[in-house]
Amino acid sequence: MNTDDDLPPEDPAAALRLIDEQRATAARQFEPDPRAYYWPWGLAWLIGFGLHFLYYSPGDTPLVGMPSWLPLTTLFVLLTAAGAVTAVAGVRAHGQVTGESARRGAWYGWSWGLGFLTIFVLAGRVSDSLPPDLIGLLWSALAVGLTGILHMAGGAIWMERPLFLLGVWITAVNVLGTIAGPGWHALVVSVAGGGGMLLAGLLGWLRRRGQA
Amino acid sequence: MTELDPVIHAQARLRVVASLSALPECDQVTFPRLQEVLGMTAGNLSVHLRRLEEAGYVAVTKTHRGRTPVTLIALTRRGRLAFEEYTEAIRSLLAPADVKETP
Repeated sequence: MNTDDDLPPEDPAAALRLIDEQRATAARQFEPDPRAYYWPWGLAWLIGFGLHFLYYSPGDTPLVGMPSWLPLTTLFVLLTAAGAVTAVAGVRAHGQVTGESARRGAWYGWSWGLGFLTIFVLAGRVSDSLPPDLIGLLWSALAVGLTGILHMAGGAIWMERPLFLLGVWITAVNVLGTIAGPGWHALVVSVAGGGGMLLAGLLGWLRRRGQA
Repeated sequence: MTELDPVIHAQARLRVVASLSALPECDQVTFPRLQEVLGMTAGNLSVHLRRLEEAGYVAVTKTHRGRTPVTLIALTRRGRLAFEEYTEAIRSLLAPADVKETP
């Protein structure tokens, strides 16, 4: 084997095939699986915000009875799990690569962290003076809004149209849900927001398989 | 027939260069990771990398991450260009009819 691989490819067709296959293999290894990036978050939104809609429903009575701690706990557990899955997939793909893109990714990560810190401080500061249903809306609309904007920014940084469009979609859903009010916001973020992420993961995965 | 770059026109080195070309410019990959992507033995990969480095196609940087020594590998601008030219040459060999346009 070691002596064979020093030989030239058999013919131009074989050489081109080798180039295409190797580039596709390498791209797959250096890029994380889109499913690992989108699906855990999509599921977390679908289930977590779905429970919020069912419990903190529009109107005064919950659509489905459940312990009051369940919706928020479920959302946080699922979001944490999603963060872990994404981190593992990211380290697996990018961990052994350094250079400009690593710095880009790190700065982008800092934007997320500091963005959410800003939201937590702000929402925490004003929550006491709001009625309970608006507190929920404030936190989720700010968090979902920041997520949408950072997806758009990510699309701009990596010149990735699907990521940018997902950001536009999340932003639109968030604005409409906020106008519709508490309860309804959770419903549209769950179905349209979470569903959009699941769809983005599916499309990314299909595109990647098409390239292989 | 067009002269094909002898440094790249060998299966193993073509695979190395093609893999490195999948990285964004200005990025480097560690030796073990590249080895994993290519499925080559460390010794074999070293030999081919040395050849590519001598041609100026690949830059090998030895550095430290904490106390662990790390070897980082990247395609140079010259290497990227050579790979593009090689791919072009292969394409034109495959489709000579397309190249000659009829007026």
